[in-house]
Amino acid sequence: MADGTLVGASYVPADHVAKVTGRAKYAEDFRAEGMLFAKLLLSPMPHARVRNIDASAALAMPGVKAILTASDVPDQNGAEKALTNEPFYAGEPILAVAAVDELTAAEAIEKIQVDLEPLPFVIDPLESLRPGAPNARLDGNVWSAPRPPAPGGGPPAPAARETVKWTQEDFASAGEGQLPMGRALEEWSFGDLDAAFKASALTLDETFVVQSTGHHPMETRSAMAYWQNGKVYLHGSTQSVAFTQGIIAGWLGIPPSDVVLICEYTGGGFGSKGAGAVSMAIPALLSKKANAPVMMRISREEESYIGRARTNMSGRAKVAFSKEGRILGLDLFIVQDSGAYGPMGDFRSGGNAASLIYQPAAMRMRAINVITNTPPRSQQRSPGPMQANGIMEPILTKAAKQLGLDQVALRRLNSPEGKALYGPPLPNGQRRHITSAFVKDALDRGAEAFKWNERKARSGQRRGSKVRGVGVTVGPHGAGSIGWDSIMTIRPDGKLYVQSGVGNLGTHSVMDLARVAADVLAMPWDKVEVVWGNTSKSLPWTCLSVGSQTTHAMTRANHAGAMDAKRKLQQIAAMDLGGSPDDYELGGERVHRRGSPGGGLTYAQAARRAIQLGGAFDGHAVPDDVNPMTKTSAAALAGLGLMGVAKDTYPRDGDTYSFVIGFAEVEVDVETGKVSLVDFLAVGDVGRVINPRSLMAQLNGGSCLGIAHALCQKWVIDPQYGLTLARRFHYNKPLTILDVPANMEAMALDMPDPETPVGARGVGEPPVGAGYGAVMNAIADAVGTDVFRRAPVTADIVLMSLEHGKRMHEPLRAHL
Amino acid sequence: MNILTWGRNPWGQWILTHISWGLLWAALFAGLAFLVAHASYMLLSRHRKREAHETDAMEAARPDLPPRIARHSLAARLFHWVMAGAMFVLLFTAFLPIAGVKFPWVAWHWMAGLVLTGSILFHIVHATIWMDFWSIWVGPSDLPELKAELMRELGHDVAGPRPGKYPLGNRLYHLVIVLAGLAVAATGLTMLVRIRTPFLTRNPYLLSDASWGFTYVLHGLAGVSLVGLVMAHVYFAVRPEKWWITKSMILGWITRRQYLEHHDPQRWVAR
Amino acid sequence: MAVIRDVMPAFELLQPASIADALELLDRHGPSAWVLAGGLDSFDWLKDRIKRPSVVVDLSGLAEMKGVRPRGEGLEIGAMTTLTDVVRHPMVQQRFSILNQAAEAAASPQIRNQGTIGGNVSQDTRCWYYRAGWSCYRAGGNICYADTPQAINREHAILGADRCVAVSPSDTAPALVALDAEMVIRSKAGERVVPAEDYFIGPGTDITRMNVLRTGELLIAIRIPGTWAGATFYFEKVADRNVWDFPLVNVASAMVLSGNTVQRMRIAVNGVAARPLRLVAVENAMRGKARTDDALAAAGELAIQGAVPLQFNAYKVPLLRNLVKRAIRGAEGT
Repeated sequence: MADGTLVGASYVPADHVAKVTGRAKYAEDFRAEGMLFAKLLLSPMPHARVRNIDASAALAMPGVKAILTASDVPDQNGAEKALTNEPFYAGEPILAVAAVDELTAAEAIEKIQVDLEPLPFVIDPLESLRPGAPNARLDGNVWSAPRPPAPGGGPPAPAARETVKWTQEDFASAGEGQLPMGRALEEWSFGDLDAAFKASALTLDETFVVQSTGHHPMETRSAMAYWQNGKVYLHGSTQSVAFTQGIIAGWLGIPPSDVVLICEYTGGGFGSKGAGAVSMAIPALLSKKANAPVMMRISREEESYIGRARTNMSGRAKVAFSKEGRILGLDLFIVQDSGAYGPMGDFRSGGNAASLIYQPAAMRMRAINVITNTPPRSQQRSPGPMQANGIMEPILTKAAKQLGLDQVALRRLNSPEGKALYGPPLPNGQRRHITSAFVKDALDRGAEAFKWNERKARSGQRRGSKVRGVGVTVGPHGAGSIGWDSIMTIRPDGKLYVQSGVGNLGTHSVMDLARVAADVLAMPWDKVEVVWGNTSKSLPWTCLSVGSQTTHAMTRANHAGAMDAKRKLQQIAAMDLGGSPDDYELGGERVHRRGSPGGGLTYAQAARRAIQLGGAFDGHAVPDDVNPMTKTSAAALAGLGLMGVAKDTYPRDGDTYSFVIGFAEVEVDVETGKVSLVDFLAVGDVGRVINPRSLMAQLNGGSCLGIAHALCQKWVIDPQYGLTLARRFHYNKPLTILDVPANMEAMALDMPDPETPVGARGVGEPPVGAGYGAVMNAIADAVGTDVFRRAPVTADIVLMSLEHGKRMHEPLRAHL
Repeated sequence: MNILTWGRNPWGQWILTHISWGLLWAALFAGLAFLVAHASYMLLSRHRKREAHETDAMEAARPDLPPRIARHSLAARLFHWVMAGAMFVLLFTAFLPIAGVKFPWVAWHWMAGLVLTGSILFHIVHATIWMDFWSIWVGPSDLPELKAELMRELGHDVAGPRPGKYPLGNRLYHLVIVLAGLAVAATGLTMLVRIRTPFLTRNPYLLSDASWGFTYVLHGLAGVSLVGLVMAHVYFAVRPEKWWITKSMILGWITRRQYLEHHDPQRWVAR
Repeated sequence: MAVIRDVMPAFELLQPASIADALELLDRHGPSAWVLAGGLDSFDWLKDRIKRPSVVVDLSGLAEMKGVRPRGEGLEIGAMTTLTDVVRHPMVQQRFSILNQAAEAAASPQIRNQGTIGGNVSQDTRCWYYRAGWSCYRAGGNICYADTPQAINREHAILGADRCVAVSPSDTAPALVALDAEMVIRSKAGERVVPAEDYFIGPGTDITRMNVLRTGELLIAIRIPGTWAGATFYFEKVADRNVWDFPLVNVASAMVLSGNTVQRMRIAVNGVAARPLRLVAVENAMRGKARTDDALAAAGELAIQGAVPLQFNAYKVPLLRNLVKRAIRGAEGT
C-alpha cells in the first residue's frame, strides 16, 4: 500500500477553476478556420426504409457545402452506424448537411425530400413477444444467447437475432398484473430451488417494471473535426480518452494512429459516452467530404434520440424466505428491452448482482433480451444492478413486514461478506467470488448514523395528511478491472509528469489517480503535472471509464508505474553513490540513503542521469508486457527524463465489487400522493478513500440518480406512432436540487480492499441502486408494500392505490 | 381556390384533413346566386298556369273528391320538421364557428346528427311500408313530364303529363338531398368515434389516415352541398306560388282545387 | 420536406419602446406577428420551428408594462412584471399572499427571473402531442392524439374537454381568478377590461386559443381589486417535482371567515381543464356554512362533478377533490 499524505486527503484539482469560471473548453467551444456546421436529418418513423433521397434543392442553396449519407459511412459489421438507410427508431440520423452556419444547414434539411417506406415496428418489449406481433427488426425480435467463443480465439462472431413469440397460454397463465414467462433464451441456476421453496416459511412472487431513462448529460454529444496531413483531429466528448482513439478509428475505417482525439473536459456521460459516441463519426466524415472543419452541435432534442438510455426491465421474482428471513431460493425472470441496437447485457449484471447482494442459497436466472424500435440503450450508471434492486427490493420489504423483521436486519442477514460467491456456476461447477465485502459493517454504521431505530419508531404514523416511512437498500456494482498500463516521467525540472489516459468526466479520477504515483514517489503535489485530454500527448493503455473501474484499475497501474520509477531512482542512486538499490529511499524530492535525508541525488539530478543512461531508465526500453499503445507513447516520451512504465500485474483473488447502502426517510401526503424525501444517507463500502470530497460527491450524485428513478424520471413513447413524447426536461423530469434534502449525508467505511495494492475500489455506480431501492422501500413503508410495482412512484400511482385500496396503475406496459 | 385541405400526420406523411372551408363560401354564394337568378326569372317568365276557369271546370267534374285531399300524414310531417330542425342545428353548429362565431358546438352537432340519422331511418322504414314509395323517385318514365313542364315554363300550353303527388322539381331535389343526406349521415356516424360520446369508446385510430381523410372530405362536401340545397329549399318554401305546398307540410292536406290544378289525378289518385 | 427541430429560424425582431408603438406594430403585421414577453413559451415554439412568424414583437423594452402599483384598495400589475418581482413585492406578500405563493410555485427561480406574469397567464398548453408539432385540433387539424385508446395522457384534462383534452399550465391563473382580478387588454382600436375568469377559454369555444386575446391585442396589465385583500388564502400546487414543473393540479382559494363559518369565498383550480375553473358551485355551497367535515366532503364532491377521466389521469379526480377540501379547510388541518 502506498503510504503518503496525498491519498485520503481532499484537494482542489487543477482544472476546477477553469470549470467554474467557464474557461474550460468543451467540444463545442472550439473553432477552426473555415469551419462549417452540420445538422442532422432524423427519421420521423420508428422503422422505415429509405427509398430515395432528393437533396437537389438543398444542395442548390448558397452556403450548403456537403451532404453525408449512410453510404458514406463505413460498415460496422452489423453494428450501429452513425447514419442509416433503415432507421430502427424515430430520431435515428439518416443524413447530415454541412453548411456555413446552422441556420442554413437547418433550412437545407427542410428542403430535402426523403422517401421513406414505413416498416412494421414495436415499442413495447412484451408486445413484441405476443403471437403474431411485429418484429422490431426484419430478421428478429430478440437477441440470441451469445455463442461460445470459437476454439483457438479468433474475432467474436457478431451478435445474432432470432424471432421468439410466446404463446397465448404463456400470456394467459401469468396471472393478473404478473409478468408472463414464456421461453427464455438465457438461463442459469445453482442449488436446489425446489427444495428451497418447499422449505420456505414465506414465498413471494412479484413483478416489477423498471423504467428506461435517458442519460442526458449536460454536455450533449457535440463534436468538431478537421483533417490535417491525413490525420483527423477530433474534438469530442468521451468518458475515456485513450480507449476512444481506437474506437473512433473503427468508425472511420482508418488506423488508430491517424486519429487525434482532443477531450480535456467532458460534461458528463453516465455511461452514454463510454468510448465517445458513434455520432462523432459524422463531423469527421463530413469534414473529409467538404474539405473543411465541421462542427456538429447536438441539440437537446437530438440528444433525446441519439443520447442513449437505460435498458428498461420487467422482472418477476419468486423468493423463498425462511422464518428468520434468510433467502433460501430466488427464481428470477427478466424481460429486457435493449432498444433498437445492442445487445445489452444489463440483465446479466442484474442477475449477478441479485445473486451477490441477496446471497440466495439456490437460484435460477432466466432472461430474454428484446429488440424494440425505441432509441438505443447503453450502459447507464449501474446498468443491471440498479434494475435488480428495483425488482427485488419491494419483495424484501414486503417479506420483512410479513415476517415481522426489521428491514436493516433482513438485509444484513442476507448480505455478502468477505469473499462472497456470486453469479452463475462456471464449467467447473464452482462460482466466482468477490475480493471483499464489508456490507454488514456498513449497515451497522449506517443504521447508527441514520438513527434508524428512532426514525423507524415514527414511521407509519399519520400526522395530518402526512405519513413517514424509512427504507434501506444495498446497492452493488462491479468496481474495478486489472491489467492496464501507466507511464510517468521525472524530468530534469524536478517534476513528476503523470500521463493520464482517463477521461475528465467529472469524477476527478483523471487527477486523483496521479496522487497514488506521487505518494509512492514522495513527490509534493505541486510538483506533479498531470498530462491528459489529448491522444497525441502520449497516453498509456487505459481502461474505459465505465463500470466504476477506473479508480481501482488505474490506481493499480499508476502504483505499478510509480514503483518502476522508484526502483529506477534507487538503481541510479546505487550506481552513482554506491551500495545496493535497497539501501535508498525517497524523501524531500531526493533519493537518499536510508536515514540520511538531504543527501543522495535530487530528482532533477536523477532525471538527468536517467537520460544519460538511456535504455529502460529514460524509456528507450520498455517492458514487453505493456500494450502497443503504451509502447508508442513511451517511445515518444523517451529521453525526457526518468520513466516509470509498467503494466498492472498485481495479483487479485476474486472480482472487485463495491457496495453502497442507502438509507431514506420519506413523507407521503396521502391526500395528494406526493412523496417528499426527508433525509438520505449513503454509506460506502468502497475500499480505501482516495479523495474524500470527490467520493462524497459520487455517493451523493449517484444516489440522486437513483432517487430520480424512484421519484420522477421517465421516458415516454407513443405506441401508435412510435415517437418519443418526453423530449424535454419538463416532460422527462430528471431530479432537481429541491427534490432532495438540503442535508443529504454520505460516509465511507474507508476499509481497504485486500486484493489491490492501494486498497481502493470504484464508487460511481453502486449508490444508484441504493438510492432507487431505499426511497421506494421508504414509500412502501409509509403507505403499504402493495401500493406500486413500477417506477417512478409518482403521486398518481400512490393516490390511486390509496383511493381504491389496490394497485390501479398499468402493470406491465413500458415507456409510460 | 383549393378544394381540399391537407395536413401531415406525426410521421410527416401528407394526409387529407377536410375540404377547404372556402367551399362553404362557394356554396353560400352558389345558393344565393341561384335564388337571385330564379327570382329574377320568375318575375320575367311567362310561366303557363291553368286559367281559373279551367280549374273550375275540373273541380265541377270531380264532385266525388273530398274538399281536402290528404297529402302528408302526420308521421310524414313530423319527420320532415324534425329533420328540418336537426338540419338547421347541424348546419349552424358546423358552419358558424368556421365563419368566426365561436361557441361550444360539438355536442349540439353530434346530437342533432343522431336526431337526423334517426329521422332518416324512420323515414326509410315509414316510406317503404306505409307510403307510396315510388312516388318520390325519378326515372326515365318521367321524361315526358320533364318535357311538358319545360314547355309550360316557356309559356306553352301542352297536354303532356302533370305531376303526380310530387312535382318533378320536388323529386329531383329529394334525390339530391338523399345522396347528400346519406353521405353526411354515414360519414358523420363514423366520425362519432373521433369524439367523446356516451355510446362509443373514442378511437381516432379506427380507420387509416387515408380513410379518415376520405370520410372528412365526403362529410365536408355533403355538408356544404346541404348549405346550398337547404337555401334553395327554404327559398321555394316561402315563394308565394309554392306556399300551398309548404302549408300542406304543416297541415297535411291540400284543397281539392289545388289537387286538380297542380297534379295529374291519373298519376296521383286521391282517395 | 423533412422536419428539423431545435434550431431557431430567422425572423425580424421588432423592439418597440412604448405600448403605442407595440400596438401599432401588431396592427401593421397582423397574424404574421408573434408577441414575445419573457420568451419561455415563445422560444420553445420558435426553436422547434413549429410556429413560424415573420415578425417578433419583443415587449421587454416596455417600461410602462412593468411593475406593481397600488390602485385604489387593490393593485395593478404590469403584464411584463417578472414573476420574481411579483413574488418579492411587499404589497403582494402582505395583502394578496395567494398570488405570492402561486407566482413562487411557478417554474424555477431562473425562469421566474425572466418569465412575466402576463406570459404566465397567457402561455400555451404543454400537451406533449401538440407541442411536438403533431397536427391536432389545437394546431388546426382534426384529431386529438391525447384522447385515443393508446394515448399517454396523465397530465391531461378531466373537465371541460371538447375534442381537445389539453390543460392550462398556469400557476398564477387560478390565484388571479380567485382574487377576482381583471385583465386589461389593449389594441390599436382601444381598451377592454375582462374579468380573469373570462380571460381564459376552453376548446369548445375556440380550440386553437387559450385566452380571449385577438390578433393585435396585448394584455397590458392585471388589476386586483381590494375585495379580497387580507382574506384567508390557500394555494397549493401538486407537481411531480418540487421545482421546474407544471402543476398536475393546483388550487387557490380566498375566504372571508367568521369563526369557522365561511361568509364568502372564491375558489379556482387549474391543471384539470383547458382553462382555470372557478368552482362557483363550491362557493355557493360553502357560503354561510361552517367548515365541518361533512361540508368539506360535500364541497369536494361538487368540485369533481362531471369529471371524465382519460386512461391515465383518473387520479386527478381524487386529487382535485382533496385539494378543494384542503383549500377550504386550510393549512391548519394538515
